[in-house]
Amino acid sequence: MNYGLNKGKNIKMFLFILPALAFFTVIKLIPAVMGIVYSFTNWNGINPTKKFIGIENFKELFASDPDFWVSMGLTLKYVVVIVILMNMTALLLAVMIENLNRGKGFFRTIFYLPNMISMIIGGFMWKFVFTQVLYRLAEKTGMKFLDQPWIGDPKYAFWSIIAVAIWGGAGYLMVIYIAAIQSVPTYLYEAAIVDGASSMRRFWSVTLPMIRNSITICLFVTLNSAFQVFDVVYSLTGGGPGGATQVVAINIYKEAFARSNRFGYATAKSTIVFLIVLIVTFIQLKVTQRKEVEA
Amino acid sequence: MISTKKERVLQIILIVILSIMALYCLSPILLAVLNSFKSQGEIFTNILALPEKFKFQNYVTTFKKMHYFRSFINSIIIVAIGMAGIVIFSAMAGWILCRTKTRLSKLFYSLFVFSMLIPFNSIMIPLYRIAGFLHLSNSTVGLGLIYIGLGVGMAIFIYYGFTKTIPIEIEESAYIDGCSTLGIFIHIVMPLLGPVTATICIINILWMWNDFLLPIIMLRSSKNYTLLLSTNMLFGQYSSDWPAILSALILTVIPVIVLYAFLQKNILKGVIDGAVKG
Repeated sequence: MNYGLNKGKNIKMFLFILPALAFFTVIKLIPAVMGIVYSFTNWNGINPTKKFIGIENFKELFASDPDFWVSMGLTLKYVVVIVILMNMTALLLAVMIENLNRGKGFFRTIFYLPNMISMIIGGFMWKFVFTQVLYRLAEKTGMKFLDQPWIGDPKYAFWSIIAVAIWGGAGYLMVIYIAAIQSVPTYLYEAAIVDGASSMRRFWSVTLPMIRNSITICLFVTLNSAFQVFDVVYSLTGGGPGGATQVVAINIYKEAFARSNRFGYATAKSTIVFLIVLIVTFIQLKVTQRKEVEA
Repeated sequence: MISTKKERVLQIILIVILSIMALYCLSPILLAVLNSFKSQGEIFTNILALPEKFKFQNYVTTFKKMHYFRSFINSIIIVAIGMAGIVIFSAMAGWILCRTKTRLSKLFYSLFVFSMLIPFNSIMIPLYRIAGFLHLSNSTVGLGLIYIGLGVGMAIFIYYGFTKTIPIEIEESAYIDGCSTLGIFIHIVMPLLGPVTATICIINILWMWNDFLLPIIMLRSSKNYTLLLSTNMLFGQYSSDWPAILSALILTVIPVIVLYAFLQKNILKGVIDGAVKG
């Protein structure tokens, strides 16, 4: 505090942050540290004794767990596709809605709606659509291409998950983009029009640079949530068919709670994921920050 | 004249495209509502048509099967406890960290902020173990308390940022008048933090209400299940009984839709503020 006695400033501060700090330490900080420590043990849920086994878990992970690396590859593919497609969809929706003369609020309300719904529920709803509705629709209308094993065939399952994930998440990014577009000063557009810029040109040269900050935020948000994707996969395919959509979060969950209870080994996996997320986030922030400075 | 005509065509094109996308957006929800009133047989023969007769019985049966009322109360307890803790503790911490300019305060602040980067996956398994040790697992109250620990980091970050925009003079004069630090916080700061508290409430309510992975790890017995877990269990047990499942999905969605209908403006504002400041 700038007012009051300097003496005891830290004590007073400490008393005020104590409740938050206590919960935070027990629930987040200690588990985060334990997670790293456990990844060097052979701890499992059944055997109460655990001992340090050095880097054995990591050796096994790198040398003889192809499933995990398939999961990792799949997750990376998911991240790339989601980050690009979800942001493009959201930006497109935002631009279209902002160009409407009337009905802006109406469309915004509808497109944001799926975001209110848990992806567990959304996934189940889509499962009904994919397994029950589409092939009957194909029969009735003759649109044969709708009759596919949307979530039963590895070829389609990935893209079905993408479609549902975008359905559930694009609205969130859209409202952020709309807010950003609305805060672009109109005189910039007027000046561009005077200079004879087409609407496409105005988007590239005025809107995009002015909302760069929001793009950074949205990329950051999608990147982080996509790496940890769980709900939509769990409810839609459960990681199937035959593990074809087993993203990392599902892989770790199964390792720890469903398949083997090998907690030590599972924490080794999550430590690797943490490192990768950290590195990717760091690179992304560096890259986008540099662009912001240039602009 | 030409430009207005062009403008009108553009508007029509935009509305057509947006309407198609809106239909895509609403279709799973509409199809679920529509078919939740049908019998299994009618779903199979006539999936797109309106129900011949609205079978409200589906809802009554499902309501009992998934212990809707109990699950709803469980969800409410969890969110209420988490909410109260996050708001009160983070407001205290965020404010004091912003007002104290010492090395130690900077250190604690960075600790809270940095923690936002830790993926849930990385703490999930040790947390499961700690929760068991502290008797927080398999309990709604315990789960609420766990959410406090998970939620304070981001909330402190937002409160800290907002405190910077509040002029310190009000607090200083109260201090000179002999008000204690706690008194200043309760009577002066907390009311001033009102708008940002609303934002934090909205973000956290939606997060906790819709969270699935943490509850499914923590809550073992079905009497403690949240709405989502009950729906998930129902789906597992009656995976081909679509009338039961669809009515369960709709029943689970109703609370958030009602919330959205009444608080839409606040929710969108809260979400935007939360994202831009968080």
